[in-house]
Parts: sequence; structure tokens; C-alpha cells
Amino acid sequence: MSDRIFGAVGLILAAFYAWATLQIQVSFLSDAVGPKTFPLAIAAILAISSLAILLRPDEGPDWPGIGRLAEIAAATVVMILYAQFLPEVGFVTATALASAYLSWRLGNTILMAIVAGISISVGIYVVFNLVLGLSLARGPFGF
Amino acid sequence: MTITFFRGAVAAVTIGLAGSAALAESHTGFTPENPECIAPANPGGGWDFTCRQVGKSLQDAGLLDQTMQVVNLAGGGGGVAFSEVVTKRPDDDDLIVAASAATATRLAQGAYPGNTMDQVRWLASIGADYGVIAVAADSEVETLPDLLDRIKSDPTAVSIAGGSAVGGWDHLKVLIAASAYGIEDVRSVKYIAFDGGGEAVTQLLAGSVQAFTGDISEAKGFVDSGDIKVIAVLAPERLDGEFAEMPTAREQGVDAIGANWRGFYAPGGMSDAAYEGWVGKISDLYASDAWKTVMENNGLAPLDLQGAAFEQFVADSVAQIQEISKEIGIIQ
Amino acid sequence: METLASLGDGFAVALTWQNIGLALLGCFLGTVMGALPGLGPSNGVAILIPLAFTMGLGPTPSLILLTSVYYGAMYGGRISSILLNIPGDEPAMMTCLDGHPMAKKGLAGEALSLSGISSFVGAFLATWGLILLAPQLVKFALLFGPAEYFALFVLAFATLGGVSSTNQAKSAFAAMLGLGVGVIGVDTQTGVPRLTFGEVHLYDGIDFLVAIVGLFALSEVFIFLETRHDKSDSVGRVEVGRLTPPWSMIKRCIPSMLRASGLGFVAGVLPGAGASLGSFIAYSMEKRMVDREGTFGTGDPRGVAAPEAGNNAAAGGALVPMLALGVPGSGTTAVLLAVLLALNITPGPLLFTENPDVVWGLIAALFIANFMLLAMNIPMVGMFTRVLMVPPKILMPLVAMVSFVGIYGISGSSFDLMVMVGFGVLGWVLRKLDVPLVPIILGTLLGSTMENNLRRAVTISNGDYLTLVGSPLAIGLWVVAIVGFVLPVFVGRLVRSRMRGARDQDAGITD
Repeated sequence: MSDRIFGAVGLILAAFYAWATLQIQVSFLSDAVGPKTFPLAIAAILAISSLAILLRPDEGPDWPGIGRLAEIAAATVVMILYAQFLPEVGFVTATALASAYLSWRLGNTILMAIVAGISISVGIYVVFNLVLGLSLARGPFGF
Repeated sequence: MTITFFRGAVAAVTIGLAGSAALAESHTGFTPENPECIAPANPGGGWDFTCRQVGKSLQDAGLLDQTMQVVNLAGGGGGVAFSEVVTKRPDDDDLIVAASAATATRLAQGAYPGNTMDQVRWLASIGADYGVIAVAADSEVETLPDLLDRIKSDPTAVSIAGGSAVGGWDHLKVLIAASAYGIEDVRSVKYIAFDGGGEAVTQLLAGSVQAFTGDISEAKGFVDSGDIKVIAVLAPERLDGEFAEMPTAREQGVDAIGANWRGFYAPGGMSDAAYEGWVGKISDLYASDAWKTVMENNGLAPLDLQGAAFEQFVADSVAQIQEISKEIGIIQ
Repeated sequence: METLASLGDGFAVALTWQNIGLALLGCFLGTVMGALPGLGPSNGVAILIPLAFTMGLGPTPSLILLTSVYYGAMYGGRISSILLNIPGDEPAMMTCLDGHPMAKKGLAGEALSLSGISSFVGAFLATWGLILLAPQLVKFALLFGPAEYFALFVLAFATLGGVSSTNQAKSAFAAMLGLGVGVIGVDTQTGVPRLTFGEVHLYDGIDFLVAIVGLFALSEVFIFLETRHDKSDSVGRVEVGRLTPPWSMIKRCIPSMLRASGLGFVAGVLPGAGASLGSFIAYSMEKRMVDREGTFGTGDPRGVAAPEAGNNAAAGGALVPMLALGVPGSGTTAVLLAVLLALNITPGPLLFTENPDVVWGLIAALFIANFMLLAMNIPMVGMFTRVLMVPPKILMPLVAMVSFVGIYGISGSSFDLMVMVGFGVLGWVLRKLDVPLVPIILGTLLGSTMENNLRRAVTISNGDYLTLVGSPLAIGLWVVAIVGFVLPVFVGRLVRSRMRGARDQDAGITD
């Protein structure tokens, strides 16, 4: 069943890809092949392989229960928030929070997770910023 | 990214090496507290080198008391950094941003959506790499008019390779020359885009294409080895030193000039004191003697423009690029 | 003889205490950076350029430091591939396929040391290739015009089917997904943005590092989140096996290493192909040739030896066009080239005659670095395997954060991080659905180059598609591609069913 849904989604993706390709504005200056040929070929093969998956599905995987899915969704949200707020709150703070969260959800006690988060964050900061000289997000406190 | 921008390293580093010569500290009361340079590309690229080397040289020369922090902000061919500066840090006095002819080209073509060149203050140039047009050593083509005549009679017979995308600087240089020679429909000129000048020269040697457009620094090694011959330098007059033998386009009756300059811009709301301060520091750096020697070795030509003069220069080149881009239909 | 004398001079240049110290530093830093997801050889070298300049090093010492980092990173990438199933850098992705299954079987130590030895063999042979064959190889590289490159990439994709997954449709789907991602960005042949939806961050395209880190590293984190209560801390007590592989295992892998070194080296010499293609082709060819029992993908030592020898050989091969033509064969050599130019050395046809001390010093340094890496890597296997002792509740957040830093520290872009999270979720879903991830990376890496070469070829010939089969070399590549694609589909089915029959009979005895 999973593969049938997957194949159907693949077909929609292929159709969307082809549509998006057709939206490309071609200037007067175009080469012999043009900017659309290759993406359209990709869309075609994508559609064919999706169809094959749809028609001859493998056995479905064991999907996790709703609780686990929520777990993954929550982790995704945390990562997105991390990406968004990293430049604002600074590297060390953001990283400590995000890694503490992940550590907690992976089975640490809250206290240990906080310790782990702070050590990961400071450790990475020391290695990457102080030793290797990469510029990480500075944030309001300068780190 | 790295491949596209590596050529810039030459220019940037040239300046860097020169800057390490001791310079007497000169003027202006302005001193940035936390000097920062945004390189709008990944480490290892041309803009990155511009920042790092100028930063280091300024410090070595005593023009800055502390290390200039280099921040890489890649994306959109420099567009991400440009919009960051315009929207988020419009009045930061400590910030400068590396730029080059590619920046002007993209601004002219509207490739930084919603941004224009007058949203920032242009500080100064730190040198330029002039464009060349070259053919294989065993080619029958001897002069630029010779090549352009062939294109005129049968545009499909001549493929020209360059390291930038279509509409990019290497492409525009050929079109500027073609247009100056009186080729009506410059769109018919067959330009093949490669990933960097090195790859383009290789395809010239491999015989896949008939001509090459790029910068002097890219062609130098192959000219020395006798594999290719430069039929035109797009400079106002012949260059010095070992490059003096290369004919300019102008002396062959084709009035075309193309310089890949490197320089800096600063946020649009930078205070006048800070602006003057940065301009002063960069021109002090530029004026060092050791640098001129290194420039000669690298085929880097002087481009001595600061402050208002540089601003005017960028404006002119944006206008010129806009005009030719409209002609070929890159922009409406 | 003259070559050996020059090499001798090179060693004289390279063997100073300062240079040896730099090589040691470079090897160590390179190995570490290679092992960290998100930091590969090209970033590693780029990050250390400022260091080289700050230390005020001359041309030869700088190059020694940076090439040691380069070789070190090529070695290091395998470590996280094997231990965590997360490639430390893009060429190491093929090592995941058999390396991680080996580690799961309790053979982590063997896998690490075997791959270390393979890396050494690949790099060692490639360095000799660089010395002896550079001039001839340059002529070979010049045979490749746009049409030949296109055929070469077709060949790579045609052999994909054999690499992973039993379901060919899923391999094809994954490859197209990768190619589709590769198309995003400003089209170099016409200058128009494609599939960017007006988002300026997408104009430069999606960096394959973002894709690889998201697909492999973040999806691994999700998998741990999904299964944490099933395994809890049992991973911490994993068997790591012996620290050195038995001689019989090495002996069995020697032919694989040699073949893979050859293929990898050739792939490295061709500008634009690079180490990832080298390890990919080495793996898929090896699988075609020797995988009679269908053990590749389940922890076959030869499946570890081949890609590691291949990618390290390619790293050496990529130096040929860089030194002899000034054309970078890979992202890393592009950065090294920038360094050479910065040091006022113009690579190109005359480099060997004009700056012999630099060239031969560099080559000598490669030998030194390579031996150093072997000497460092084998004893350090024990240390690396300790990583498996770290409980996932500490290790996984660390992996995730290092991935974020690797990307953010280079590009400074929150947008890239968002894309990476997207790839992470995608990677998790695709893994659940048994869709192989390697073709996605291959597509993302090679997609735009492949398309550009097609379009260059056809544009040069004024729209005549026959140019794609216009040279004997191109025809040869097409033939190999077609044979590689068709053969397993028809013959493979027959052979496999026969094999299966045979194995079923043996099963009672061997198992």
C-alpha cells in the first residue's frame, strides 16, 4: 500500500516538475537544446518509474505509530526553529537548546540532556570557531 | 562556487601580498570597532580571498588594529549578501563587502531581485584583470578582425568558449567586441559556457571550440607554453612587462574594453566619516610599491578608483551591461 | 631515471622538520574534518587556507599542509560511513553500502583498517600515476570534449541499477530526483533561472553537501528517534571486532583494490568527473565483476576496499589536470588551484619546467602524507571505534549539530539549513520506502554537468544530435553504457535465479 501511495505521489511530483519546467521564461537567446529539454526528460523518466512503483509495489515498511511520528515531527520543528533563530540568538545558545532537546528525546534525563546540550554546543564552538576560525552566528552576546 | 570564482583569487591575493609591505599609517580619525568583511561566497572563492587578504594586509600595514572578521554569506551569486546588507544592516559602519565585475553584471541584469546599485555605497577598487580573446596556437586566425569577420560571414562556424554563464561577464566581453566591430545581431555569436576559464581553455586545446574569452590570468600559463595565442586584450592600451606583446582590441580598430575589477561596497546608510575612513584605508593599501610589482607578475592592471570616482565607474559599467543585455534579450 | 632524480630533489625539499610537522598536522586535521559530516575535503582545505597565510608559509610548505589535509580528508570520510552510515564527505558515500553492514556484523575494526589499507593503495598508485603518466594523461583528458563527457555520465547512470536496491524502478526514481534537484538554479547556457520560484537563495542551485548531510545524517537522527525504545542503549555495547583485518581478507581484496585504483585514477584525471564518480564507478564495476554470490551491500569486504581505493586514487588523479593544465578536476583541486595562484605560481603546461621544486616537493609530500596517514590510521582504528561506545542520546545530537555547523559555517545561510532539514525528512521517508539514497546524491552532483555537456555538444554542432556519437571514444563509452545497462536486466535475471537455486542447496551446509 505504501508503495502505491508513493508511486502516486511520484506521478504528481513528475507532473508538477513538468509544469514548473514549462513555466521557465526563455529569453531570445537560447541554445540548440534549450533549458527545458533536460528537465522534461527527467520528468518523463520520473513518471515512468513512479508508474512502475505504483503497479508493482514492494511490501510496505513498518510505519511507526502516531506517537513516534509526532516525535519526528516535533524534532523537525525544533530543527526548523533552530535554522530560523540561529542568526538571531547566536550559535551557542541556539545549539545548546536544540541539542539538549534532541538528547532529551533520545532518552536522556532532562538534567543530563541540558548538560549534554551545553557541552556539545561549547565543544563545537571551541573547535569550529576558536580553532578553525569559522564564523558562526554571533548573536546578541557575541557568541 | 569555488570553480566559478577561483579566478578572482589572483586579483585578491595580489593585493594581499602587496599589502604586507609596511605602510605608514596615514589619516582619518575613523577606526572600526569590529571590522567585518562579508564574502558573498564560500571559502576558497575569489570574493573570499578579497576579504581575507585585504583584511590581513590592512592589519599588517597597521591600518587596522585588529583582525577583520570574514563572514561567508553565499547564495544567489552574491544576491543573498547584497539583500542582507540592504535590509538588515543598512547603517553598519564596521562592515564592508567584497564585489567584482560579476556583482555589477548581476545588478545590471536584475539578478538580485529588488536590489539596485544605489542601495549601497561603493568604496573603492583594488585592481582589475583585463579580458582577452584567444585562439589555439595553430589556428589560422591571426587577428581580432579576422575572427570577427569569420563570425560575420558564418556565425555557426565559430564557437567561443568562456568560463561564465550566458549573459555573464566572459560572454559580454565578446559581445562588446562584436558589437564594436559592427556585427548587427550579436545574438548570433555562438558562446559556449563552461565551468570556469580553465575548463574553457582546455576545450580550446581539445579542439572542441575555436576561440576563448576570459581574463588574462586564466590565459597566462597557456600563452607562456605556446599552446594558445592572444589575439586581443580588451584594455585601453598595451599592458606592461611580459604582456606588452599582446595587441589591444583598440589598436586593431575594435573599440572594446572589458575589465574584471575587484573592490568593495559598504552599507547604504554608512556614516560619511566611516565611508571616508574605509576609502582612505583601502587607497593607502592600494598605493604601496610592492603591490605594483606583484600586479605586473599576474597580469593585473591598475584600476585606481576610490569614493565618488569608483561609484561613477560602477554606475557606468552597470549602464553599459544593461544596454548590451537588452540587446541580446537577457533582460527585457 | 631523470624522474627519479627529480623525485629525490622533491624529497630533499619536503623532508624538513617544519614540513614534516605540517604534513602531520594536515593529515590529522584532514582526517578529522573528513570524518565530520558536512565538512569534506574542499571545505577542509578552504578553511585552512587562512591558517596557511596567517602562519606566513611559503609556497611549498603551504601546499604540503593543504594537500595533506586533502589526502587526510579522503581517508577520513570513510570513518563515519562505516561507523554511523553517514558519509563524512561525498566520495565516501559508496563506502556506506558495505562498510556499515560490516560494522553491524561486528566487523567495524576490520572494515576501518581494511579501508585504511585500500585508501593507501589507491593513493599510492595514483601518486605514481601522477609522476609517470602526467604528460600522457593530459593528452588523454584532451580527448574528452562535451560529447564524450556526456557519454561518460550516461555510463555512470546506466550502471546505477546494479549498485543498490532490488527494485530498479526505485533506483531510477532516486536518480531522477537527484538530477531534478541538480537542475535547480540559474541555467548557465541561457542565463535564465529554472525552478527557483523566484527564490534568490536557489539561484546558485542546491549545494550537494546540503543534500548529502540532510539525506544521510539528519535522517539517521530521525531513525534513532523513531526506534529509540526498541534498541535503547544496546548500541553502546556493539561488537567492534579485531583492529586489523586477517591476511586472508586483505588478500581477497587485493584484486579489487588494484582495479578500483585504476578506474578511480582515470575518473580523477578527467576534469569534472572527480572522486565521487571514481568511487562510484569503482564500486559498481567491482560489483558487476566479482559479486557472484550477491554479497555486495551486505558487508562484503571487497565492497569496502573498492570504493576507498577508487576515491583515493581519484584524489591523486585530480591533481594531474590541476598541475598540468591548471584545470581543477574537483571542488578541492579548484581550491588548491586558487592557492597556487595566490602563491604566485601559475599552474599549466610549464609548471613542471618552471617550478620543479614546487611540483616535486608537492609529489614527495603526497608520498609522505600517504605513509603518515597509513601509520596514523591503523593504530587509530581502536580510537575511532570508541565512537560506537557513545550512547546515541549523546552521539546523535552531536552528529546533527556538527552537520548544521558544517553547512552554516561555510555558507552562513539559514536557508540552506532549512533545505537540509527538508532533505532529512525526505531521507527518512525514502529509507522507510527502501529507496536508495546514493543515486540521489549522484544525480545532484553530476546533474548540471551532465546537462551542460549535452547542451554544449549539441550547440557546438549547431543542433545536430549525432555529434553525441561523433568520435570513437564517445561510441565506445555508449557501448559500455548500453551493455552495462542491458546485460544485468536480461542476463542478470537468469544468472541470479540460477544462483539462488544453487545457494538454496548449499544453504543447509554453510549456514
